[in-house]
Amino acid sequence: MKRLCLVLIIAFLAGTLFASGPQDVSKQEITLTMGVFGDLESAYTAVKDSDGFKQKFPKLTLQFQSSDFGGHHDRLVTQIAAGVGANDVEALEIGYIARFVREGGFTNLSADLFKGKQVGKDLVKFGMSNATTTDGKLVALPVDIAPAVFFYRKSVSDDLGVELTGIASWDEYIEKGKQLTIDKDGDGVIDQYALTNPNDVSMIPLNGGKGGWFQNNEPLEPAKRFKGVLELCKKIREAGIDANFPGWSGEWINSFKEGIVVTMFSGAWLGGHFKNWMCPDLAGDWRVDYCPGKVFASYGGSYIGIPEQTSAEKKPMAWEVTKYLCTNPDAQLITFKTTDAFPALVTVFDDPIMSEPVEYYGGQKVRLIFQDIGKNIPVQNVSEYDAIAVDIFNNAIKAVVDDGVPVDEAYKTAKTEIKNQM
Amino acid sequence: MRLNRQKIAPYVFISPFFIVFAAFMVFPLGFSIFLSFHKWSGMGGIKTAQFAGLQHFSFLLFKDVYFWKTIGITIWLLIFGSFTQHLFAIPLAIVLNSKLIRGRDIFRTAYFLPVITSAVSVAIIFQNVFNMKYGLLNYITGIFGVAPVDWINWSWSIPIAIAIVINWRWIGWNTLIYLAGLQAIPNELYESADIDGASLITKHVNITIPMLLPIIFFAVTMSIIGGMQIFDEPFVLTQGYLWMGGANNAGFTAAFYILWSLQRAGKYGRGSAIAWLLFLLVLIMTFINRAITNYYKGDNRGIKRVTAKKDKAIDIGPQMNLH
Repeated sequence: MKRLCLVLIIAFLAGTLFASGPQDVSKQEITLTMGVFGDLESAYTAVKDSDGFKQKFPKLTLQFQSSDFGGHHDRLVTQIAAGVGANDVEALEIGYIARFVREGGFTNLSADLFKGKQVGKDLVKFGMSNATTTDGKLVALPVDIAPAVFFYRKSVSDDLGVELTGIASWDEYIEKGKQLTIDKDGDGVIDQYALTNPNDVSMIPLNGGKGGWFQNNEPLEPAKRFKGVLELCKKIREAGIDANFPGWSGEWINSFKEGIVVTMFSGAWLGGHFKNWMCPDLAGDWRVDYCPGKVFASYGGSYIGIPEQTSAEKKPMAWEVTKYLCTNPDAQLITFKTTDAFPALVTVFDDPIMSEPVEYYGGQKVRLIFQDIGKNIPVQNVSEYDAIAVDIFNNAIKAVVDDGVPVDEAYKTAKTEIKNQM
Repeated sequence: MRLNRQKIAPYVFISPFFIVFAAFMVFPLGFSIFLSFHKWSGMGGIKTAQFAGLQHFSFLLFKDVYFWKTIGITIWLLIFGSFTQHLFAIPLAIVLNSKLIRGRDIFRTAYFLPVITSAVSVAIIFQNVFNMKYGLLNYITGIFGVAPVDWINWSWSIPIAIAIVINWRWIGWNTLIYLAGLQAIPNELYESADIDGASLITKHVNITIPMLLPIIFFAVTMSIIGGMQIFDEPFVLTQGYLWMGGANNAGFTAAFYILWSLQRAGKYGRGSAIAWLLFLLVLIMTFINRAITNYYKGDNRGIKRVTAKKDKAIDIGPQMNLH
């Protein structure tokens, strides 16, 4: 009898242990650090403070190390190279994913321990594809995507009688931009522009610059696509519709608040910046539409990965947190509501929240536009040389726009320089 | 046992220096030499580095489209951003050293302030100064009828804008160095020159400058080292890595290229090779600087010649040994 009891107790304990095995990880008392950039900290803090997260991770202490976009990625690249110092979990922007895919530095999430591909089956296809190496390793999970949209000020559009919805082409946008660019106070100086800078448009026709820079290892091909962008930037500058404010400079940021610039092309996330700190006073006036010609493009997007250097003891919890942020519908929607970082989880695309009117956009159902674009963002191949191609092509845009270099010449120079650096 | 402790103790006391020196100087230097002969992307651990021999050096010297371009930009900035500082700093130091100036400490502090201001803050302020539409500089030049210039976007004006910032930032530093040098010049020399009726200009040309030669050598050497590594100002003024120094890479200096190679291109080997080539260039320039300085100060040759040419009345005598 005693022996039977003992066997039953052991069997019960073992059963309990196995049954609760996977849950135990999330119930552990542990401290994790997470590196984030931009406004991701506010989004993930909101997730961390949610009941669902607290219930799932009752004893977890999650500390954020937040910095600006450039600072975060410079730090991350340096710490991955050094092999020490990175946080247990790291967010990274889509533009950096190719480098880690090619060169390593992040834990393979498709390994049996994580089964990342299975876990990420409902995440956007292009996001998963971009984070997977040629031999099938998954280096990170997409956490948000950025449908590229057109922002405009409704009051300005109404006052000037310029219809800004359904713009069919970039030429049409430039023509309308000319009507928006005016001298409001009649002092002979233009004080309202359509756009901040041609560079802010340049990546829209290139799917946000996220992949697609090489065709059969040949940079900037097909040529028509890239020359077209150089031509577009040139036309915008020649039309005089841009204020020539460098991206994210003080004047660039203030230009929206002060009404100096009245339209903008960017990812949906820019609306979060508008709403939260750049121009909260303009609530109700901004509107959103598709980019000219109803282009479907991505303009940013983030991933979450676990550096290889994260200790084995912390990796299971790091994975649980990564999984939660990327694949939990509540976490995805909280992130979206907080910062307008559009979910990477396809199953929430049809959530009722998507068809709700958004107060900041004057009650417009902007999320339906985000959702439509999100569903149609094309998959484009990323390469380890993408960052080189982006920088050199940007430099070519500078040459065309600021120095008046002919498009063909700038294109040829950029192509030569990219090849030289490969 | 005590004897051993006594033997060991000094080494224990000086060991912190050697540990720090080894960790932060010897190791990085050795590692960068190692990297300059290898291909390494910075990811996946050092085990992924592949031996590349002299490939990086031959590529940079003979094939690279950027290396010589960035060296040219750096040298241009060295001449017009760094060397020009001395043309302002020496007269400024002389003025500040004059007993006729009141509130010298205030001026010294004021001139030194830009040095202790962070490069990023300086660059942000100057972005506004150089703004094409609302900038102070275009406002001033506009008074004289000059058309507005897009200082930090046009390729011809980017180096000028950077040079202005570098000058503004570092003139105060050099002024203080020269001021220290001036205070070491014996006053008797000036008194004897006064007795001989030398003019102010003559005194400075024939006494101050020759006596300052070792200081000038030091300050110019520091300028060469700092100027060849210039990064902060062009990086911030031209909006970071993304534009690679602006139109036609006008602000893409050698140090900028090193950092871009590491951070954006993921080419640690190439970046290290650029750093070592830059080091060699700085070394050559420093030797040239020393040769020029030695030529002028050697055996009082320079002083005697200048004295003989310009003001025969001054006999500075044997005490003017500058070695």
